[in-house]
Amino acid sequence: MKLAKLYKNSQVFKIALGIAIAVVGYIACVFYTQMRSLDSSVDIITNATETQLELERVLSIISIYETNLRSYIITKDESYLEKRFLRRGEIETNLKRINVLVANNPARVKDVKRLNKLIDYRFKLFRETLLLAKSKMPNSEVLNAKLQESNDFTELMKNYVYKTINAEGDKVKIHNNNHQFELQDSIISAFLLVILSLLILLLSFNKMNVDIYELKRANDELKFLNHSFNNAEKIAGFGHWKINLETNTYSFSDNFFRLLGLEPQSFVPSLENISKYVHPDDIEYVTQMHLDSLVSYNPTSLMYRFVLPNGDLKYVMSVGSFTRNGKGQMVKTGVNYDMTEQYKRTIELEENNKELISINEELESFNNIVSHDLQEPLRKIQMFISRIESTEVDSISEKGKGYFYKIRTSANKMQTLLIDLVNYSRTIKGDKVFENTDLKELVYHVIDDLSSDIEEKKAKIDLGDLPTVKVISFQMEQLFINLISNSLKYSQEDVAPEISIFSEKIDKNEVFDNEIITDQDYYKIVVKDNGIGFKQEYAEKVFILFQRLETGSKYSGTGLGLAICKRIVDNHNGFIKVISEPNVGSTFSIFLPKKA
Amino acid sequence: MISHKDSMRILIADDDEDDRAFFSDAMMELKMNNELTLFNDGKELMDYLANPDIILPHLLFLDLNMPRKSGFECLKEIRSDLRFKEVSIAIYSTSSSEKDIEETFVEGANIYINKPNDFSKLKKVVKEVLNINWQFHSSGLNRETFFFSI
Repeated sequence: MKLAKLYKNSQVFKIALGIAIAVVGYIACVFYTQMRSLDSSVDIITNATETQLELERVLSIISIYETNLRSYIITKDESYLEKRFLRRGEIETNLKRINVLVANNPARVKDVKRLNKLIDYRFKLFRETLLLAKSKMPNSEVLNAKLQESNDFTELMKNYVYKTINAEGDKVKIHNNNHQFELQDSIISAFLLVILSLLILLLSFNKMNVDIYELKRANDELKFLNHSFNNAEKIAGFGHWKINLETNTYSFSDNFFRLLGLEPQSFVPSLENISKYVHPDDIEYVTQMHLDSLVSYNPTSLMYRFVLPNGDLKYVMSVGSFTRNGKGQMVKTGVNYDMTEQYKRTIELEENNKELISINEELESFNNIVSHDLQEPLRKIQMFISRIESTEVDSISEKGKGYFYKIRTSANKMQTLLIDLVNYSRTIKGDKVFENTDLKELVYHVIDDLSSDIEEKKAKIDLGDLPTVKVISFQMEQLFINLISNSLKYSQEDVAPEISIFSEKIDKNEVFDNEIITDQDYYKIVVKDNGIGFKQEYAEKVFILFQRLETGSKYSGTGLGLAICKRIVDNHNGFIKVISEPNVGSTFSIFLPKKA
Repeated sequence: MISHKDSMRILIADDDEDDRAFFSDAMMELKMNNELTLFNDGKELMDYLANPDIILPHLLFLDLNMPRKSGFECLKEIRSDLRFKEVSIAIYSTSSSEKDIEETFVEGANIYINKPNDFSKLKKVVKEVLNINWQFHSSGLNRETFFFSI
């Protein structure tokens, strides 16, 4: 693992390569010097051998000369002397060659000079001997003495030459030994060189292979990324741009051009060229903000318009920020979002909002009319009814009395309706101040307020424990007033109403509007009665505005009471439901969130 | 110190003729020994009160919604004049809006009465309001007892 990691680390690899190259270079140098010295020792050996050969040749020429002279002295045949000068010339060329061969060796040069003198002297002796032999009266004693002297000198010369030859031979021997060693060293060096080079080659090849594979993979990934990015741009309706601050070059993505309604890369990206498409009213501000940011390096977020070649307007949100690229150059990169649709929708929404506000205002004034202006004349009607009832009713005929009481009933009904309408509208608008409220205390007050009705119906109210909840208290009051009044109103004729109000653990999770109601999150408050009830199939209907189930004159109702309850519970982000059975009773359950 | 034992001087300002009639009828039927003066609107009331020679009333019933000068304006003016600091003010209105109740309470009205829709109820209201020990009621001003419920 670790090794593989090291292998992948290009820094480490570079160092290893450097070291390997240095080692190879060193070995190559050693090898070169070895080869050079090998080469020179070969030269030296050749030189020495040739020198020996030349010297031997000189000796043999002198021997031949001597033999010829002796043959002449004995035979007096002139033909033996014919090649005399020729031989002398040969020796001269030999000596010249030797001089060249030993030119690098100063001691040997001296030797050769001395040899030259010896040869000269020997030839002098040759000439003297020849002169003696050619004389008419040869003194055999003198001649013999001369011959003897020549003979001795030749021996001396031979010794001298052999000494030199031997010296050359020794040199050859030494060099030959050295040559053997050097050759061995060179072979080892060459072997090492080859092995190391091969190793480096293999390593490099492998590394290169790995790198190429990685590069290819990275390249493929990049290509794919680029492709999906381009697609994403197209789908999401944005284009990106890049500005290199160092080189002052701009680049825009393909979709950037498409957003402008142009073919990709249809003009050279530059501030000047893109400015042509910016709306004239926006250009100054956009350019200013952009150029400022290039100085301050602060990110920009601009909303402006492009004018497309076909004259359409495109609303664009352009956000940009600064980073440094791989070369350390400051680059501003950013994205242009097409906001046209959103902008249009916002405008539409704003218009709708305005309309809604004005509708709301109208509703509010309507509500005022209902709550105040309508109640005013109604109150007077009721007032006059009550006055007639108390003093004038006796003077009306029985039929008239019947009509009169119908008028009273209708006026009262209208009043309840108006009050309910006001209450209902108050649940829509108005102050929604949530405060921690002890519901038990609140319901206790409600029961107190309704005490006259309760007494009248001889109802039994059972108030259990209720939690303290964050609620809009006047609305909660209204809720319990409506529920308890309902229970009192829709009681069975010959059974005393029994109403119980209590809270309960949520055993079985309930589901409302796809939301799961658990005991952990909700309080459950129950209002249960033994009234006339209704068929369970109406359980949803009772909460709808102006939906009344009992239409007989026996039960008066506006069809607003439970709708108000539903609204109030909605305002508290809670839920209300009812389980009912005709002639058994109804059970209303209210679920209020524990965290308001 | 105003004593209520004998006769109370009561003023009412209401632009509705019928309401004024109901009110004085109720007072008559109650046969209480009281002195009632009626005004057709706020302006008329304030003109009367501006006269320094008048004997100050004990109790003033104020309708809120009146032409020329609203009950709310009257309330403000009266409560800014120390001369009337002993006068108890009962707001007498059809409106039961929280806003009206809150604002008149803040401006210093003593009680807020919703106009009843039944004559016998009206009589009951008038009787009870007149029998309130005003000094005690004024000193114990609070939000709970301000709104008069029948």
